[in-house]
Amino acid sequence: MPGVKIDENDIMIELHGLRKAFGPQQVLRDVTLDIRRGETITIIGQSGGGKSVILKHMIGLLQPDGGEVRVDGQTISTPTFFDTKTIRQKMGMLFQNGALFDSMNAGENIAFALREHNREMSEETIQAEVTEKLEMIHLKPEFRWKMPSELSGGMRKRLALARAIALRPKILLYDEPTTGLDPVTSDVINDLIIDMQQKLGVTSVVVTHDMASAYKVSDRIAMLYEGRIIACGTVDEIRGTDNPYVKQFITGQRKLPTA
Amino acid sequence: MNEGETKNSPSALRQVVLGPWEAVGGKVGRGLKECCLSLAFLARVLVRFPIVLKNRELTLKQTISIGVSSLPLLVVTSIFTGAVATFQCAFQFRNFVPDKFIGTAACKMILIELGPVLTGLVLAGRVGSALAAEIGSMKEKEELDAMTVLDLDPVRYLALPRFAAFILMMPALTVISDLLAIFGGWLVAVLSLDMTTYTYTSGLQLYFQTKDLYSGMLKSFIFGIIICLMGYLSGANAGSGARGVGEAVMKAVVSACVLILIFDFVVALCFF
Repeated sequence: MPGVKIDENDIMIELHGLRKAFGPQQVLRDVTLDIRRGETITIIGQSGGGKSVILKHMIGLLQPDGGEVRVDGQTISTPTFFDTKTIRQKMGMLFQNGALFDSMNAGENIAFALREHNREMSEETIQAEVTEKLEMIHLKPEFRWKMPSELSGGMRKRLALARAIALRPKILLYDEPTTGLDPVTSDVINDLIIDMQQKLGVTSVVVTHDMASAYKVSDRIAMLYEGRIIACGTVDEIRGTDNPYVKQFITGQRKLPTA
Repeated sequence: MNEGETKNSPSALRQVVLGPWEAVGGKVGRGLKECCLSLAFLARVLVRFPIVLKNRELTLKQTISIGVSSLPLLVVTSIFTGAVATFQCAFQFRNFVPDKFIGTAACKMILIELGPVLTGLVLAGRVGSALAAEIGSMKEKEELDAMTVLDLDPVRYLALPRFAAFILMMPALTVISDLLAIFGGWLVAVLSLDMTTYTYTSGLQLYFQTKDLYSGMLKSFIFGIIICLMGYLSGANAGSGARGVGEAVMKAVVSACVLILIFDFVVALCFF
């Protein structure tokens, strides 16, 4: 369990009354959630329930139909306002399938954003940064020459994480980081998520339905159900909740538990 | 409700009377919307054009991919196009005009129409489809979102290098296509039509106007923009899955080919 000191009043990401529909399908109905600076919060919920949609709102890939998204004290999007340029470099995201640039090798995947955003940076410094990022995810420097197609699922996720931290973000968003991985590799990813919080001091938002992962990496867990956050609390609070929907989800039961 | 009532109900009548018009109107509306979106996208690319040299490597890579790699296909299509154009000219006019006018007709046809249009259609098929598939696949795998998240503008890093490569390589490929087509025409003239090289080449020079060449170059420049825009936009708006990418590729090729033929006519109207 992560052990970083968190100030409850220091809010990094605020979602207020977030609403989003895709065509006739109302995905988010009223999502309100405060994420504290330095914490790791996990959003759990059923597949297709809108968890990734919340992440995409946080990082400015989607504009809400209603409500507001604030990051680091700054409003980034409302239905009538959308300015995500200023917060982009504060945030990194690990996509569900890695979303690595297939035409570039591992080193270039990490170096691309670094090189483009720091034009005055020498090639030696960039390569040193790439080596450092690879070491942070426990990969050898020679790994940089591998193409994404040569990597296993776990390695792709780790490389995607290295790319996400290349610009030293303050916030890291993880979209289903352990989906499709075996339990051992999943645990490696869990340890990396904890490492990132402790070594880099980042605020982390993890979206998953893997409860083992959620219990291990989270300071708090929030449950999304039918477009609303129906419960939010520490791991122990969520484990001991009386909410039947949360109970059903965390115990993996087909039917709602009876009181 | 029985069948007769259904047929005569106001909604059914409305459907019969207005249905075709609504369908046509809907398609026209969607077409106009796509035209506006394409023009807006073109404006976004042009605004970034001054920084094209900042990513020289990307542009060079695309120039090689679009231009050099298309040459083998272009050699075959151009030589045969020139050959058949010359052969048909001879077949249709030989009994009415002197032989050297066959070279003149072939040359005019190749420089003004066949060279640029066929180069455009060949590249729409080969490069436009590949571009739509590549961008569609990148969208499907969330690579475009990953770029945005890293604060890397996909228009600058993906669209701009390809746009620059297209407007650079299309006129160049058209010149090569013109030369190869004229060469193909010469081969047929000498080997099959019993014409001398002198007769054919003097026909080429007869009535030659520089605007024949320039109009072809202008066309190829416009066709390059069309292929790039249709390929990129179709890919970027592709639906999900293999089917979405497949449809994007089809849309890129079909829309580019149709627009090439329309703009060919528009430029012809302006020049001649």
